[in-house]
Amino acid sequence: MKRYFTDIYESVTSIVGGMGITLVHLFKARNDNVTLQYPEEKWPRPERNIGFDHSSYNVIRSRLHVDMDDCIGCLKCERACPVDCIKIETEKSPVRGEDLKEIKHKGVTSNGTRKALVVTRFDIDMSECCYCNLCTYPCPEECIFMTGGPNAKKHPIDYEFSEPDRSDLIYRFAKKGAKQGLAELNAKQDAEA
Amino acid sequence: MTVDYIFDFLTSLLDGLIGSDYLLLLAMLIPCLAIFGFITVYALVVIYAELKVSSFIQDKVGPMGQGVGLHAGKWGLLQPVADALKLLLKEDIIPSSADKPLFILAPFMIFIGAFISFVAIPFGDSIIVADLNIGLFYILGVGSIAVLSLILAGWASNNKWSLYGGMRSAAQIVSYEIPAGLSLIVVIMLAGTLNMQDIITYQAGGLFSWIIFDNPFMPVAFVVYFISAIAETNRTPFDLPESESELVAGFATEYSGMRYAFFFLSEYANMFVVSAVAAAGFLGGWHSPIVGIMDSSAWGVFWMISKTGFLIFVMIWLRWTLPRLRVDQLMNVCWKVFLPLALINIFGVAIWTVVFNS
Repeated sequence: MKRYFTDIYESVTSIVGGMGITLVHLFKARNDNVTLQYPEEKWPRPERNIGFDHSSYNVIRSRLHVDMDDCIGCLKCERACPVDCIKIETEKSPVRGEDLKEIKHKGVTSNGTRKALVVTRFDIDMSECCYCNLCTYPCPEECIFMTGGPNAKKHPIDYEFSEPDRSDLIYRFAKKGAKQGLAELNAKQDAEA
Repeated sequence: MTVDYIFDFLTSLLDGLIGSDYLLLLAMLIPCLAIFGFITVYALVVIYAELKVSSFIQDKVGPMGQGVGLHAGKWGLLQPVADALKLLLKEDIIPSSADKPLFILAPFMIFIGAFISFVAIPFGDSIIVADLNIGLFYILGVGSIAVLSLILAGWASNNKWSLYGGMRSAAQIVSYEIPAGLSLIVVIMLAGTLNMQDIITYQAGGLFSWIIFDNPFMPVAFVVYFISAIAETNRTPFDLPESESELVAGFATEYSGMRYAFFFLSEYANMFVVSAVAAAGFLGGWHSPIVGIMDSSAWGVFWMISKTGFLIFVMIWLRWTLPRLRVDQLMNVCWKVFLPLALINIFGVAIWTVVFNS
């Protein structure tokens, strides 16, 4: 008989105690949980100890980026690429070293080189890229580079690029409508001449 | 807002245009649609609350959306809508060896059992579909339809998990109806009526006129009723009929799509019914806890819904706190603890009423 009442007492107290614990967790949920709302929140990248100063170490291989305003269309990176993942097409500029506002073409690079060519296509297929970094060395204008690291000033690091479709990994850097705009520009000039 | 009131209103509005038989039918259909809409909206809210409360209790964040697009909306508010759409679009599978007519009948029956209980639930001093003079008895009575449909579902599925679930639900619900009923008898003894509105009117006059504070036996009766009610609605810690770790999903194993949604919906509707009965029977129904503050008839709806909502929250809270009972423990608690307690309560309240209230 004593056992019967102690059982009832114990079950009541343990249920009340358990519900107290869950209630505390319920109201402290936001403080205690470790869930990260991923695309908005990210864990900070751990500091790398690689024996060099992080900012001067040039082989952080994240994602290729091209600064199209500086690209002169010399095709050196395309030739250097061991897996042929860079595709470049160029066309002769109607006026050397002049801005073409219609297609947002810049005539002079930041190094002062006057461009003779308009780049109508500059595709890098990052699904084929082997991250060897060989394309960045021959570039005379230093306009193709890996993002982040020493280039963080030019472009923040992007190491978790993922896309719903594989073809979305082909990054098209050429100015949109450059080819068509250039053709229209040439036709207009021919008509004037 | 009884059916009679709607009928009178429609008669004065459309006198001579439509026959009075059709008007009566219309007057019955309007509350039906209102209740169906209420159950649907309420189910969406409670599913969301269940997701969020369970997550917070487990130190998670629950469904969270990231702005516009194919996400669950801000704070995951669209998650229950997405769940409902998923259940609507799912394929309806009937096992080839199932007893087809019974298999199809079971989900409808369980939903009807939950649905018609709403008829006698008072939402305000004049908002009740049918003010039956046997309201409480009616709710307890139609609540038993659930047992029949759960056995039906278990038997018709022709599946050993389902049959086990159905048998367990029969044993559980039939057993727990006894302590639940005996605890409500105490309420009937005090109020002297089975009419839901009269039981609530008996509790007029602030917090300490509520039946739960009437005498020292009433809190015990309330706890016994509330726990028995949780057992009747098949919720954790009494979810033996659909215990997913032992019986896959119990009686609902073979059900998919909309048929499963009906089981789901009626579980939540039953939760509302038992909580509303507890709120009306013990917690003063649509009365404000303090006399004179927010006790107009419009506030009555607020008080009734919030009292019921609090009890539903306690059910969710219990679900995510306690583990499931074993079958023998379940029966032990019912027959050896709750039944004697309920009987002692009846005896005690009877003595108390004679000694102190006469």
